[in-house]
Amino acid sequence: MAGSQLKRLKASLRDQGIIGPQQSKKQKRKQAEDLKGRNDKRLQRSAVLENIREQFNPFQFKTNARGPKFDVTTNKPASNKAGFIKGRPGLSKAIGEQQRRETLLVEMERRNKVGGIIDRRFGEDDPNMTPEEKALQRFTLEKQRLHKKRSMFDLEDDDDAGISLTHFGKKLDLDGEPIADDFDEDDLPSGDESDSDAERKRLKRQRWETVAEEAEEKDNEEPERKKTKKEVMEEVIAKSKHHKYERQAAKEEDEELRVELDKDLSDVRNLLFSRWKPGQEDKDPNQKPLIPGLDKSALEKEYDVRLRQMIQDQRAKPAMRTKTEEEIAEKAAEKLKELEEKRLKRMRGEEVSDDEEESEDEKKSKKKGKFAAEDEVMEDEEEDEFGLGAGIKMRPTAAELGFDDEDDFIIDDDLVAGSDAELDVDSDDDMSSIASDDGAVEGGDDDDDDFSKYLAEVDQKEQKDRVIRQANNMSTEKDRDGVPYTFSCPETFDELVATLATIPMAKVPTVIQRIRALYHPKLAASNKEKMAHFSRALIEYIGHISRDDVDYAVVETLVRHVHSLAKTYPIEIANEYRQILIDVSLSEDKSKPFMLDAGLLVHLTAIGTIFPTSDHFHQVVTPAMLVIGRYLGQGVPTSLGHYATGAYLSILALQFQQLSKRYVPELINFCLDTICALAPEKIASNPAFFHMFEPPQGCRIRNCQDKTPRKLNYKDTKCSQHKSDPDVQKLSILQTTLSILKAAAETWSGKSAFTETFQPALPVISHLLSPSCRPHLPQTLVTALTQTSSYLSHALRAAHLSRRNLELHHHKPLAIKTAIPKFEDSFDPDKHYDPDRERAELAKLKAEHKREKKGAMRELRKDARFLARENLQKKKIVDEAYEKKYRRIVAEIQSTEGKESNDYEREKEARKRSNKRRG
Amino acid sequence: MAGKSDLSRSKRKHKGGEEPVNKRARSASSDDYESESESDGEVDDRHSKILLLENEVLESRKHYNNIATLIGLAQKGDAQDAEVAVFAAVSLCRVFIRLLAAGSLTRKKGASEKEETVVRWLRERLSEYRRVLTSMLQQEEAALTALTLSMRLLKAEAQYLHGAGEYSFPGVSFSEFITGLVRPEVDDSVRAEFIEKFVDEFDDIRFYTFRTLREILSESSASTLGDDTVINIFDFLTSIEGVPDASEELNFYIDPPTKKTHPLRTLSQHKKQAQEAWMALMRLGLNKPQKKKVLEIMATSIAPWFTKPELLMDFLTDCYNEGGSVSLLALSGVFFLIQERNLDYPLFYNKLYSLLDADLLHSKHRSRFFRLLDTFLASSHLPAVLVASFVKRLARLALNAPPSAIVAIVPWMYNILKKHPLCTFMIHRVPRTKEEKAEIEAEGLADPFLPDETDPMETRAIESCLWEIVQLQSHYHPNVATIAKIISEQFTKQVYNLEDFLDHSYQSLIEAEMHKEVKKPPVVEFMIPKRIFTSAEPGSEEKNSLLVDLWDFSPQP
Repeated sequence: MAGSQLKRLKASLRDQGIIGPQQSKKQKRKQAEDLKGRNDKRLQRSAVLENIREQFNPFQFKTNARGPKFDVTTNKPASNKAGFIKGRPGLSKAIGEQQRRETLLVEMERRNKVGGIIDRRFGEDDPNMTPEEKALQRFTLEKQRLHKKRSMFDLEDDDDAGISLTHFGKKLDLDGEPIADDFDEDDLPSGDESDSDAERKRLKRQRWETVAEEAEEKDNEEPERKKTKKEVMEEVIAKSKHHKYERQAAKEEDEELRVELDKDLSDVRNLLFSRWKPGQEDKDPNQKPLIPGLDKSALEKEYDVRLRQMIQDQRAKPAMRTKTEEEIAEKAAEKLKELEEKRLKRMRGEEVSDDEEESEDEKKSKKKGKFAAEDEVMEDEEEDEFGLGAGIKMRPTAAELGFDDEDDFIIDDDLVAGSDAELDVDSDDDMSSIASDDGAVEGGDDDDDDFSKYLAEVDQKEQKDRVIRQANNMSTEKDRDGVPYTFSCPETFDELVATLATIPMAKVPTVIQRIRALYHPKLAASNKEKMAHFSRALIEYIGHISRDDVDYAVVETLVRHVHSLAKTYPIEIANEYRQILIDVSLSEDKSKPFMLDAGLLVHLTAIGTIFPTSDHFHQVVTPAMLVIGRYLGQGVPTSLGHYATGAYLSILALQFQQLSKRYVPELINFCLDTICALAPEKIASNPAFFHMFEPPQGCRIRNCQDKTPRKLNYKDTKCSQHKSDPDVQKLSILQTTLSILKAAAETWSGKSAFTETFQPALPVISHLLSPSCRPHLPQTLVTALTQTSSYLSHALRAAHLSRRNLELHHHKPLAIKTAIPKFEDSFDPDKHYDPDRERAELAKLKAEHKREKKGAMRELRKDARFLARENLQKKKIVDEAYEKKYRRIVAEIQSTEGKESNDYEREKEARKRSNKRRG
Repeated sequence: MAGKSDLSRSKRKHKGGEEPVNKRARSASSDDYESESESDGEVDDRHSKILLLENEVLESRKHYNNIATLIGLAQKGDAQDAEVAVFAAVSLCRVFIRLLAAGSLTRKKGASEKEETVVRWLRERLSEYRRVLTSMLQQEEAALTALTLSMRLLKAEAQYLHGAGEYSFPGVSFSEFITGLVRPEVDDSVRAEFIEKFVDEFDDIRFYTFRTLREILSESSASTLGDDTVINIFDFLTSIEGVPDASEELNFYIDPPTKKTHPLRTLSQHKKQAQEAWMALMRLGLNKPQKKKVLEIMATSIAPWFTKPELLMDFLTDCYNEGGSVSLLALSGVFFLIQERNLDYPLFYNKLYSLLDADLLHSKHRSRFFRLLDTFLASSHLPAVLVASFVKRLARLALNAPPSAIVAIVPWMYNILKKHPLCTFMIHRVPRTKEEKAEIEAEGLADPFLPDETDPMETRAIESCLWEIVQLQSHYHPNVATIAKIISEQFTKQVYNLEDFLDHSYQSLIEAEMHKEVKKPPVVEFMIPKRIFTSAEPGSEEKNSLLVDLWDFSPQP
């Protein structure tokens, strides 16, 4: 396109038909006629103009300098400018300027100024809102605010104290009766669509006038007066009273209505029941009118009877079927299996999931729950009979399985309790106590088991006695053996000792049994704690009595009592045992861990029976094992008693590991050391890698050919010398140690290092059988030695045969880290492919920060420029004003001075002239 | 005068009970003796007599014989009246110091024969008095006074005996004193006092103490000295601390020599004296517990004194060769010398291997040894055969070891196996041929390891397997078992920090367990056993427990 800008503009304007040659009047009219929408035309015109303007100002847009790249590749039409306009700098600049003018400029002007009024009315300075919108918004806000503040106990919750819409000062009620709408007015012909503006205006004016008149009237009648607070309160109270009264009235009304309805009920009922009695159907119509009054009492009775029947119906659901013996046995076997599985899990150190146990517990509680109803019924009848187990008359089924789950005995008890009135009911599983489970266990061969027999006897005796006691209400009664029936609950060791002081040892279990029964946790709330203390005291007592010679049958019974208590108080009992272990092992006295007395040995034995020793970890057993291991491994032998104690602990350690077959290094060490120490001659050199202590004086077996070894007992563990022959003791220790070695070999037969473990025993034994030692030993021991030796060598041969190379690392090989870069299919050089995700995110964040910073700085710069511009403008104005003033003044002065100078000049001139004249 | 008041003050410090005596002594020494003597009427006769004797000596040479009387009193006193003896000794000290200060004990040129005789006589008395003091060290109550008096006298001797200006340390009398001090009869507290008051305080005293001790030690042998004396000297040497840092800060008891080059003024000479004293002690031929003691404090107390640690070589190698725990203790010293001083120890690893004996894992020096062993075998250039021998031997030992030792061994093995991948054959060995497999199936397997071989290169350990550790995976202690299992798991961890596993014991294991509170109710054995102590009825089916089988629980008569 050639020509100047102006020419081109003209041309394009002409092309678009904005300007053109002068049109004739006719043409103009025609145009006006055929274009109905003049508006349309005007719009079109402005659009065209805009377009032209854009066209002629190429700097208004940011585009690619050389036009769009690769036109052919896009499907957008090339002419479409919008496609490649990248920005409108002029526009954005203008927007920015506008924004600054609105914010920054205002701020600038407000700077260093104090005070002023800020209009906070909603939408006040929002030019985008119409007045209607503003009003609506304000109204909703007001409503919301009031709504939130409304209190719960507001007496006037019905009527709005707050604002409401008004119309010409009159309240507008949205919920209530609507003000007659304009359109509903009578004088309007309803449904008429073509109401002309004029008419509406007229009506409006009319209404306004009437309203104004009314208002005036009101004003004249009673002038508006503000109510006092008292009046307001009175009004409120009156109102609330009124409401209350109204509510009562409504209620009464309802009542009346109901009574009326009730009268008709019998009719309805008759109709209802008549269906089931088809025979009476013909009668009914006659009787119907009579029923309401006459048969009411009879009906009620009948109703009651039916109701009761219905209740009974629910109760009389089929009870759990009595199980056959096979079923019980099966269930027991299942339970045992489950327990064994759990034990194995614990042995492997796997977590026994809690929810599993919980569900178990739930099951249990459910089980109990089923019988709870019956229990309650039974308890009503025999309230005072608290359970002492069901005694001996139990079924032998579970016993045959060797199964003494207390829970299951409950089931049995309950089942029996239903049929057998003589037996007590155990409402709790713990309550079935030793007597019951023992009774169950030994039920088959009850005649030859002391424990259960005498417990059963005690039970029966006690039951009888209690009946008597109940009769004459005596509490200090004693049985035939002089053992009283009631005791105060001993909660400390001293109390327990005091309680049991007068009682013969053999009767102690009876007493314990009675105490447990008397203070059963079911009987009183405080008993639970009492029994917990009692169980701790009992443990201490066991340790106390076993320090001296004691009947181990009694200790056994007591330990079993503790075991039974441990099911209820596991934490307390575990803590007590742990305390004992702490006392031994963590005391100041360094020699204490190596001076274990008989009481502690009994404790350790008890730990082994009460707690499962096969667990991978157990809070009590593991420390106990450590205590044993420490004694065996580090105890420096001082006397024969040390070896005997060690032998006992070795047996215990082995017994602990019977199931899990864990290896105890100290045990082998101790056994071999003991044999070496007792050997008649010192062994020449350590045949293997076991650790040897220097044996104490005089512990070698010398010249004992004619003596026979026996079993060891607790007396042998005492360090002090006693009457019995030390030679026999030595022989016994040696023999026991050999047995332990054999038992250990049996226990650990499958271990991978069996050879290395037991190989050292062979040279030690052969040393004892060597000509230098053999003559000192009795024949029995020599036989035992050869037997052990041959057993061991046999076992070693077997181990040799079964030994294989270790193949521990059949793991999947570890992946080697690759160094080959990952190939990206759609690689974009602008993108970052960072495999390290954190680093990538960091980079992203950094980039964003940079961008933001740049933007912010740009904005700040623009702000500064804007401010400078504004300041400059202001300054310019000021300067201009000043300049103006200055000029004016100067001009003024000049003019006056000019006049003066002129005058002066004139004067001068005049003088000159006059001088000239004169001269 | 000043000396006297000083003396009485120090005396009061030790013996509060002698307050009146002190007062008297001080007042008696004042010039107006006459007025004082009147008030002596109420004082003990003997005390006044001693004072009288003393004053007479000081008054004129005629009464010099009183000195002999006083010495007699001091000597005699130890039997009957300690107080009198002490008093006599104190006054004698005053007398001698005065005499020394007056130069009465110094030989003068051109003195007449008579005077010479007097001087000789006085010197004889002085040495006699010294002997008395030395013997007094053995008495409990008088010992501290005797110590102070001796030191006082020593100072006076050093100052006056050889004329002023010239530095001379009375070596003979000091060595007599030290010899007396290290006697087993002398109480430990006296030596402690001496060290605290004089040796630690004054550098010259320490210097001569070391020298004297060295002389004592080198002159005699262990047998002549006796065990107690050797131990005393050892304790004595041990308790001397505070190696001097700079020669400027030296502190002297006796006026120091003016010459800058005098050995007393150089730091290295001080150290050398100590070094020689220690060397003399080590050459003495110590017995085992003594050697252990020396080795235990080697690094902390002895080494700082040594300017030439090479001198310890002989002693350390001897100890290292001895075997047992002495070897363990000497190991670190030997290693230091090998590393720093280029000591050539032939067959070091053989010796190290021989240290792995049955007692090692039960020894209290176990963790110390393990730290060193870890250092010795840290090199990845060591032959795998040798490393395997160590691993296998320790595995064997672990079979009889306490849990705390196993806990340390297994992570160590892991580290070693990680470092020497060749050794991993010990935990994973697949038979290569079918015939080999069949043979093992048929005949079983013998451990090729030779436990009695002393050369770690010849033990064939690398052909063996670590069955022992696998067995320990079923150790009774759960933590030990878990640690042992790391051997059979994938070796993903780079290295175990050995320090975490070294310092454990039964005590710490139990403590760790016991400090946890029982929160979860412990599992209780479900079945209540029928019998615990009583044996089953004969004929019944049930089996006795092991305990009942092997132990007699029947009532004892």
